[in-house]
Amino acid sequence: MSRLDHLTERAARKLAMHVSRRSFLARLGALLAGGTALPLLPLARGASAAEAVEDPSRCEYWRHCAIDGFLCECCGGSATACPPGTEMSPVTWIGTCKNPADGRDYLVSYNDCCGKGYCGRCFCNRNEGDRPIYYPHRSNDINWCAGTTTNVYHCSTAIVLGVASEAQPES
Amino acid sequence: MRRALFAITLLMAGGAAAQSLPETDYALQCRGCHGPEGRGVPGRVPGLAGVAALLETEAGRARLLSVAGVRQASLSDARLAALLDWVALRFAPPGAASLPASLSAEEVARYRGTSQRLR
Repeated sequence: MSRLDHLTERAARKLAMHVSRRSFLARLGALLAGGTALPLLPLARGASAAEAVEDPSRCEYWRHCAIDGFLCECCGGSATACPPGTEMSPVTWIGTCKNPADGRDYLVSYNDCCGKGYCGRCFCNRNEGDRPIYYPHRSNDINWCAGTTTNVYHCSTAIVLGVASEAQPES
Repeated sequence: MRRALFAITLLMAGGAAAQSLPETDYALQCRGCHGPEGRGVPGRVPGLAGVAALLETEAGRARLLSVAGVRQASLSDARLAALLDWVALRFAPPGAASLPASLSAEEVARYRGTSQRLR
């Protein structure tokens, strides 16, 4: 036991002779500052794919699986409301998207907001279930600003209508 | 009390009930233009209150199945028949005398002029 005490004492004295208390404080400070700065690095932001699925301002948002247009969330509106100065089209393209939170397929209505020129921000073109334009009721390539006072397209919303009994047909 | 709480918990865990198959087909094939209540858009998209009346006669059924959106629907004959029955019942005007006889898949195939089996 006394031998172990002796060895420990020698090691502690050797460390104290070569490493100052300031050096220890400097290293501790660097560790604390580095630890708080770590989440700000681009690497951390790039790893948030799961968060993007829940963010309505991102194309990866789960409700945007069949969208083709500018996200109203980035244009002064939201995923469910039109920006001021625009009018929501009552005629709309409807698809289904799987919600990763519960694995169920939801009916999503992509009502266009009309009345101002192209928003130009957050363009998103995912097109799941989109059919060629000769199936007009199943195509998102046409201008759905119909039934409004003007057919000038601004941006698209993504409104959940309910739970679908099955996913939309792929062909 | 415990049973009631258990039932409420189950309901909350289960979330909203899924729509029936014809209701989902209506949402994906028709609702975008005709709207949730089948009223359409005045002057642009016709309402669907008249579908029940169309199903009452042979000529009416043929006319309904010749409409492009109906004929082109990405559905099998059986699912299209079930969808049209659902539409007739769901959007029939209040006080409608009686509902017409159901459409069959064979009838839809005959009017559609096809034997396609898409789904």
